[in-house]
Amino acid sequence: MLLDVRNVSKIYGTSCDQCLSLTGVEHDRAICPECGSVVAVNSISLSARKNEILGIVGESGSGKSTLLQLIYQDIRASSGEIFFQGVTDKNGQPSNILHEPPSAVSRLRSKEMSMIYQNPRLGLNFLFSAGGNIAERIIGAGERRYDEIRSNALDYIRRIEMETSRIDDYPEEFSGGQQQRIQIAKALSSSPQLLLLDEPTTGLDVSVQAKILDLIKELQQDMGFSMIIVSHDLGVINHLTDITVVMKHGTLVEYGLTDQILEDPQHPYTQLLVSSIL
Amino acid sequence: MSDHGFAFLDGDAKKEIRRALLKAVALPGYIVPFASREMPVARGWGTGGLQITLSIILEQDVLKVIDQGCDGSVNAINIRNFITSVTKVMTTSKTSRASIIQTRHRIPEHELRENQVLVFQVPYPEVLTTVEPDTAQQKQMHADGDYSKLWVLLYEDTSQYGDSRISNRYPVQVNNHFVMDPSPIPKYDIPRMDNCPALQLFGAGREKRMYAIPPYTTVKPLKFDDREFKIEVFPGVCCERCGARDVFFDEVRLGSDRRYFCSDTEFCDKNMEKNDAA
Repeated sequence: MLLDVRNVSKIYGTSCDQCLSLTGVEHDRAICPECGSVVAVNSISLSARKNEILGIVGESGSGKSTLLQLIYQDIRASSGEIFFQGVTDKNGQPSNILHEPPSAVSRLRSKEMSMIYQNPRLGLNFLFSAGGNIAERIIGAGERRYDEIRSNALDYIRRIEMETSRIDDYPEEFSGGQQQRIQIAKALSSSPQLLLLDEPTTGLDVSVQAKILDLIKELQQDMGFSMIIVSHDLGVINHLTDITVVMKHGTLVEYGLTDQILEDPQHPYTQLLVSSIL
Repeated sequence: MSDHGFAFLDGDAKKEIRRALLKAVALPGYIVPFASREMPVARGWGTGGLQITLSIILEQDVLKVIDQGCDGSVNAINIRNFITSVTKVMTTSKTSRASIIQTRHRIPEHELRENQVLVFQVPYPEVLTTVEPDTAQQKQMHADGDYSKLWVLLYEDTSQYGDSRISNRYPVQVNNHFVMDPSPIPKYDIPRMDNCPALQLFGAGREKRMYAIPPYTTVKPLKFDDREFKIEVFPGVCCERCGARDVFFDEVRLGSDRRYFCSDTEFCDKNMEKNDAA
């Protein structure tokens, strides 16, 4: 198991001991009636194996992006456990990364996990060139030889099907779709085991969307990393993922093979979602 | 100027600065905040170095003050006059004879020895400011030893200009841990900080920060493993006054004419004496 998320919750606000039990899809609310706290993610468990592609769908405000940020450690979970392959205590037993020291977490974030954001401004540093952005991650993973960094950066520019002569240009000088591809190159340049994608194609032209999705899929088959994709676009989920998680009001509504969920949704909310989009 | 104790600062101020100095020496390269008193000199004119000098100086100390290598510049003379007016200590221009050397932007050419203290005046203490404006984030990056953004600057300069463009304030890593700003000394002086027998103290009065390098501490400039760190060289140039070669020169332009003199005036004078004796 590459990633194992167990009973993870995130509560914004004062929080009381009833927050988790009084919210969720069965109560049709994400705000605790007792204390008014927002339960963004409510006791979610899921796992990802090597090479597996997981999709998370749900309406806006359902907690899917928050869940991704909890996994990437952009924000800290209120409770629960997250295990990542290779993160162990001194007895070799899997260790909850929520209790690991900051140094271990930052190693995880700079090497083993990468995040691709919907807005390239979050994933790219606009003060650095395209090559500099890719170099930042290669350097973060420990490389200190210039020639090695440069040739790796050039290699990733090539992989995202961009002219290598543009390596020293700044993100401002690229189109939105190109910026997104540079973000992908940056994220993959540390050869991560897990790639997290938060609405990677939302806001892009449909033809550009298809190209980016194809690129992601090709790179995934080529390099063999696992992915978790958050999207509200069932087309994207259908195109890319093996397994789908449906979320609403912070809780997990349905969890299963993507084909099965799209063809034969069980939960009324999933049925509504599938019938309204497809 | 008669109604104050020895060395201008009151006892509490000295105590506070000395405590900060102890912490700075204990954590080589770590930036320690201090209160930075009002001095009879405007902030930004060497008040950080001045406060450090005044809080460590004793009656038996011998003081040397230089500004860019020169004992006779207005700033050096004013600071020296001020310190002697409040301490009555002996002053010297001879590097070898001084026990405390307060300096702006240079390290004296004459090799430093044990029991000497070199006090630097620092305008910008935080090396990460150029790449990360958020101070909380800067502290986190120091704690994590995450200097990849500084490395990216080095990468970008190397890819676009062949080498780093930094002429002074070249980032150095101290004791294989913290990366710090060495104050605006030329690259020529950077290798001379490494394993130096003298204690090196850095004070930034305007920014209310100080840091230190204890004697015999490793100080390495940030550089790629497969690239050389290049200092300023002056091929074929010798000092017009004393004839010295391979030192750091001041370039004086008179019309289209370029003339070179030793930047360290005491070193130059000493050479002249030697020449006269010969």
